[in-house]
Amino acid sequence: MITVTALRKTYDTRTAVDDLTFDVAAGRVTGFVGPNGAGKSTTMRMMVGLTRPDRGSVRYDGVPYAALRHPAGVVGSVLDARCMHPGRTARNHLRAMAALSRIPAARVDTVLAEVGLETAADQRAGGFSLGMRQRLALAGALLGDPRVLLLDEPSNGLDPDGIRWLRAYLSDFARRGGSVFVSSHLIGELAMFADDLVVVGAGKLLAAEPVAAITARSAVTVVVQTAVPSQQTELAGHLAGAGLDVEARGSQLLVRHSSREAVSQVAFAQHIAVLELSVTSRSLEDSLLDLTAGSAEFASA
Amino acid sequence: MPSTASPDLASSQGSPPAGAAPRRPVSVRSHRDDLAALPAVLNSEWIKLSTVRSHRAIALLTGAIGIFATWATAALVTDEVLVVADVFVYSTFLTAVIAAIASILLFTSEAQHGTLATALTAQPARWLLVVAKTVTALGVGVRLGVLGMVTGFAGGLLGGLELGDTSGMAATAGWALTFTALASVLGLGVGMVVRHSAAAISGLLVWWLVAENLLWAFLPETVSRFLPFYAGGAVLGVEVDTATPETLAVALTRTQDALVFGGFAVIALLAGTVLLYRRDTN
Repeated sequence: MITVTALRKTYDTRTAVDDLTFDVAAGRVTGFVGPNGAGKSTTMRMMVGLTRPDRGSVRYDGVPYAALRHPAGVVGSVLDARCMHPGRTARNHLRAMAALSRIPAARVDTVLAEVGLETAADQRAGGFSLGMRQRLALAGALLGDPRVLLLDEPSNGLDPDGIRWLRAYLSDFARRGGSVFVSSHLIGELAMFADDLVVVGAGKLLAAEPVAAITARSAVTVVVQTAVPSQQTELAGHLAGAGLDVEARGSQLLVRHSSREAVSQVAFAQHIAVLELSVTSRSLEDSLLDLTAGSAEFASA
Repeated sequence: MPSTASPDLASSQGSPPAGAAPRRPVSVRSHRDDLAALPAVLNSEWIKLSTVRSHRAIALLTGAIGIFATWATAALVTDEVLVVADVFVYSTFLTAVIAAIASILLFTSEAQHGTLATALTAQPARWLLVVAKTVTALGVGVRLGVLGMVTGFAGGLLGGLELGDTSGMAATAGWALTFTALASVLGLGVGMVVRHSAAAISGLLVWWLVAENLLWAFLPETVSRFLPFYAGGAVLGVEVDTATPETLAVALTRTQDALVFGGFAVIALLAGTVLLYRRDTN
């Protein structure tokens, strides 16, 4: 549905987006993750024509955004939930948007009901909470009944019930054939409903894979503790000799990208008794933090 | 090592899931589509203008100034005979200032509240937005100009003035509306260039009320007659007490003054349009 090809954007001497290429498939939720300053918001602005790329292109079924006949009918975007005049009511905000895209005015009440704002329709947006603004912004994105939703941090300001509602809505949207491209810092939240992930760091693409592939790649670590402490080093040597990735951590050995069966076979063959032989799985968050560790612009100590 | 797109991600593209609604093909817009969209863009601009309280407040202010200017003139000026047919345009200068400010806000409030980004994503043909905002600005200028003159007319009558010779009122009103409409477009252009309400309004007023007066004092008449607001004020046909035979000798006609003032408005608008296309919008 969305094809991003060699996208590049530089501000003065800083490259915000560096040769980004990925696809967003129809009928799937694609998460867009990366640390602060990774270029996510810049990329999303380029995807809807607000920022001109220095190089590269973004196409929706082969058509550039600026050439879409009915942009609102193809792409619904929420890049900043604060984009509304505080003195205008929710209904009038959507009326103006609907008029601009030649969408029937009746659609305004429909989308307000969809996002749960029908009772606040005639309140001024200036009095809205952040969560209400997020819902109103989403209503605006839904006005044209688009086939693609582009959302930048949509769960900001939503309470747990709102986040659950949003998650279900986006999943259902994808299930009905739509494409969802959503950026979020809440990796754990994304993992619950994203099918694919595009991971960026320092403007570069780090990964573009199904969620399952990312979690499976570095998920499993076998933890082994020898019955006789002095045999730990001996066992580590045999495991390394078998081509396994071994790390000693205190009284335990951590064997990555392996299995309990493989580790136990090595220990059994060398007649080394083990006290503990367990498996730990890494969360998606851990996997992604490892992936982006070197590219975080502002990292905590 | 960064990984490239996996085959699983690439291969899932293009096929909607089972049970999903059939996808409409994505169509490409043409110039005809853009032209056909203009009424809708105009409608959107009207909705935006009419659904904020500042629009009504500006209209009220214009009306209040219109009535007060002529009523006060009627009450305070006793050494000459004034008639309504002459004084009904006395508030036009201030009306034009208000119209310019209102049109600055047409753009800058959108830029500052983020609705400009929303509009640009909905309508990638940015020139349509420029045309719609220009037409709206013209409408603001004309509407406020009419309101100012109607209330000025009423204020003159309330002040007890005679109607006077009304044969020239239509022409006078026409020039006044030309001034307010062009001031409005100039304001829009300034707003599009500066993109910040306070900076645009203060910059415009400082230039209009301070800088040009200083320049007018030092520049030769053959140059100062081309200053934008000097020319704009001359469109109103207001006689200046400091006019000299030399000033009058090189004075432009009202039509020429309108063209000079309008030329500056067009330049500001063009500059704003170029920047609208070139600047990234956050």
